[in-house]
Amino acid sequence: MSGLERMQNRGFMTRMFEPPAIGQMAFGTKIIVYGLLAMWTLFVLFPIYWLIITSLKTPAAVNNGPFFIPFVDFQPSMQAWYDVFVLDFEDTIRAYFNSIVISLCATALCVLIGSMAAYALARITYRPNLLTIIFFVICFAAVLYAVAMAGVDWKLAAAVGAAVFFFLARAIARRYKVPLGNGDILFWMISQRILPPVVVVVPVYMMFQSVQLLDTHLALILTYAVINLPIVVWLMYDFFASIPKDLEESAQLDGATMIMTFREVVLPLSRAGLAAVTLLVVILCWNEYLLALFLSTSNAQTMPILVAAMNAGERGILWWTMSAVIVVMIIPVIAMAALLQRYISKGILLGAVKG
Amino acid sequence: MNVQPAMNPSGPRMVSETAKSLRLENLNKHYGSFHAVKDLNISIEPGEFLVLLGPSGCGKSTALRMIAGLEQITSGSIVIGDMDVTTVLPKYRDIAMVFQSYALYPHKTVEENIGFPLKVAGVDKTERASLVRDAAAQVHMEDYLHRFPRELSGGQRQRVALARAIIRRPAIFLMDEPLSNLDAKLRGFMRAELKHMQQTLGVTTVYVTHDQIEAMTLAHRVAIMRDGVLQQLDTPRDVYDDPANKFVAGFMGSPPMNFVEGEIANGTFQSRFGSVTLPNYDDTAAISIGFRAEETIICEPADAHFAGTVFSCEMTGNETIVTIQLDDSHVIVKAPKDYELPMGADVHLKLDADKVCLFDGQTEARVRPSR
Repeated sequence: MSGLERMQNRGFMTRMFEPPAIGQMAFGTKIIVYGLLAMWTLFVLFPIYWLIITSLKTPAAVNNGPFFIPFVDFQPSMQAWYDVFVLDFEDTIRAYFNSIVISLCATALCVLIGSMAAYALARITYRPNLLTIIFFVICFAAVLYAVAMAGVDWKLAAAVGAAVFFFLARAIARRYKVPLGNGDILFWMISQRILPPVVVVVPVYMMFQSVQLLDTHLALILTYAVINLPIVVWLMYDFFASIPKDLEESAQLDGATMIMTFREVVLPLSRAGLAAVTLLVVILCWNEYLLALFLSTSNAQTMPILVAAMNAGERGILWWTMSAVIVVMIIPVIAMAALLQRYISKGILLGAVKG
Repeated sequence: MNVQPAMNPSGPRMVSETAKSLRLENLNKHYGSFHAVKDLNISIEPGEFLVLLGPSGCGKSTALRMIAGLEQITSGSIVIGDMDVTTVLPKYRDIAMVFQSYALYPHKTVEENIGFPLKVAGVDKTERASLVRDAAAQVHMEDYLHRFPRELSGGQRQRVALARAIIRRPAIFLMDEPLSNLDAKLRGFMRAELKHMQQTLGVTTVYVTHDQIEAMTLAHRVAIMRDGVLQQLDTPRDVYDDPANKFVAGFMGSPPMNFVEGEIANGTFQSRFGSVTLPNYDDTAAISIGFRAEETIICEPADAHFAGTVFSCEMTGNETIVTIQLDDSHVIVKAPKDYELPMGADVHLKLDADKVCLFDGQTEARVRPSR
């Protein structure tokens, strides 16, 4: 049977699901695809809709069962919004302000340090010696032990520790080299993120307690910057590594200094990556709960803590006020995503093309 | 091997005031245990066009990157003009380089790309604009100044890269396979443009390529490298007619030189396929005879040196390339354009005995006549 005959004799199902012409979608396929997309949209957007209408309900309307259509199912009221933004104005605004300051400062610090570290890892070959590192860790631990447990004067302990370390490094480590590479450094950094934060939360608490920084912005900014550093280094490393080395070598030959090369060539080319990483880190800081719970009480309290607190009062779970706060909380994230979206989709594409 | 430059090997040439000489002395490069460049000695005159030629991995690009200062030197020295630049930073060497990938800044327009070296040097905006226009005009890109590299074709990007290199009037021009990303037709055209530009500018140029045609057509002198060792440094004509060893003979020319293995006894080269009388050579057990396609003719059995069978005939328009099978090896000869023989037909070859080259069977070094 020729191609033409086969085409004319197709069955109903084939006609439904086979493209009618090159570059067109069959009617049956269209129905299935758009149906699935509509379901997914509903699945994603419905919780947000529910959140918004819950914030407009009275306690009675919440407790009496699921109502979904305002003015039909229930009568909207501004009670929750009044409670949160008029009666408890100070608490809400303080937490909101704290969240913004801490997220932005931590992100700025983290992206600044992380991208410089990533650039160095992508462009400079390091040969750290494993033995030197082990000797350093042993000497450092011994000094800490001597100062904390044996009551040795810290200056003496530090001087002896440094002397022993330099002796070991010069005498032994230089002869038996076990070199590591950039890949090892990168993996070590990423491994810091594999560690669950709950493991370090008590030591971190005690450290900030001893320097009396508990419940301050600085404590949260520093902690957030450090825990998100591995993500920034990891993502930006990939990005910098994908920029052709020729460009930087060419700039170098043309007389540019390293700083100028970074500013004129590398930075403009990595704008997309920086935007994506910035957004990611902002969201991670914005939503962080565990460390904020330990490191802040009232002064530095952030939004996630404020929301969680509404779940623990003696009046039960305050769904309505919680919803109002969450609605306000997601607005900046949506705004940022919309603002940076142009760069992010471009960033993903760039990465895909350069591979 | 210490090679001194010949005095103006290819006749008079333009030399710009800024062009400088370049001297590589016992240059070595190790990557760990890998010896990439071995004792390289080359001396280049101001205004000379030198091509570094060799198969990939022969160390030619490494040598170029060492001249540019992008690669550290294990031992040896590099002298530009009368300044030892062995450890000098790239930006103080007064060189410009054209990369294989062109290395145009994708976020800058053509104008900004060409003007970048001047911007770095602190040239003010109005002077920069006029210099950029001049440089762009030299490569016929003055109508594209406000485009981005992604909006240009391969050949146009190549021109922008050239303009960026010439705008500073460098002492030395370095080019790393600049034509290899272009299609065949454009490559031939750009080759002519490059040669013309180099001669009008009169700037010292070191050009790296694996394409022997580019080397033959562009160079004043060709340096052929293999496994990090310089094989021969000479004018294209001498490299072609008088190769130093079998590698050079087999690398240069299209088609490359043909070889037949055999021995010399009683002043005659003898092999399974025939013999050639060579009275001036000593008797040798293992030797190969090399002959060029254009110095070999297909003849009657009575006059023949070698006999074989036709493997294929390829008509190219102006001539026919005939590949002839000699047991398990092939030789290639050129025949007139209307020549035609069926596959497997017997065919007889006559060489020009004055122009054959002989190479030692073991060392592959050239064997010269002893009388």
